[in-house]
Amino acid sequence: MKFKKPKRAESYVPTASMADIAFLLIVFFMVTTNITVDRTRVGLPTSLERVEVPKDAAIIAIEESGVVHFSNGEEQSRVMNVADVLPSAAFVVEKNPMQFFLIKADGATRYEFVDHVMEQLRQANVRNVAMLTMQEEVG
Amino acid sequence: MKMKRDKRETEIPTASMADIAFLLIVFFMVTSVFSVTRGLEFQLPKNDNAPPDQNPEEAIHINILPAGSGCQFVVDQTDMALSDIAIYIEPKLARNPNKFVIIDPSPDAPYRCMVDAFDELKLAEVKNISIPTQAEKSQWGNIL
Repeated sequence: MKFKKPKRAESYVPTASMADIAFLLIVFFMVTTNITVDRTRVGLPTSLERVEVPKDAAIIAIEESGVVHFSNGEEQSRVMNVADVLPSAAFVVEKNPMQFFLIKADGATRYEFVDHVMEQLRQANVRNVAMLTMQEEVG
Repeated sequence: MKMKRDKRETEIPTASMADIAFLLIVFFMVTSVFSVTRGLEFQLPKNDNAPPDQNPEEAIHINILPAGSGCQFVVDQTDMALSDIAIYIEPKLARNPNKFVIIDPSPDAPYRCMVDAFDELKLAEVKNISIPTQAEKSQWGNIL
């Protein structure tokens, strides 16, 4: 008996929706990423306790050598003299007294530099401060 | 004269759309920088030149000195390892939950030593941690 050869159904992977998926991913990443206003490279200190800080906070970065970068949270950070932190911070606090200030200092920097910045912030009537840290590994 | 109608089907080629989109994804993934958004929070005191709320003499003092590449912690004039600070503070905190702890790092000490001490106090659930600046300390006088 002769069998009839079955007609072969053409197989293919549907790729029409691939672009939709990819664009969905792009939109998702664009929405979830926050634009960094400060790109200073510092070796952050570590801590076990870490809390989430607001995204629109002003940033004060201190390099190991003591160079200070300041950003009000909206503009890109720029190098600043320590003495100029006071008027800049005061200007930010005037608009929003509860504004958070992030201290992004290198763990190896002398405490003196951080102290100077904190004194400036205190005089500018800054209330909320946070020190950025990396997660400390236990053991 | 009769014009002949062009009956060719028109279409926009979309086969490469996915390639373009994935290329964009890869580009954004490579160029994006992951930023740290976590840290230790604290509140600065009001700038009113008022004396401290509590007598600094009753507070626990933690002096931080540089020691080679590490740190040396001196708690109430006693040398202490970082892990021993919590043990020392616990009974004092049990008696008075609002006990003040003053962190006083030397200007030469690395910043990370201060963060370590601050972290240790936070984990010990100390409510009142004070980090006076050099200028504040000179206002307070020589009580420190």
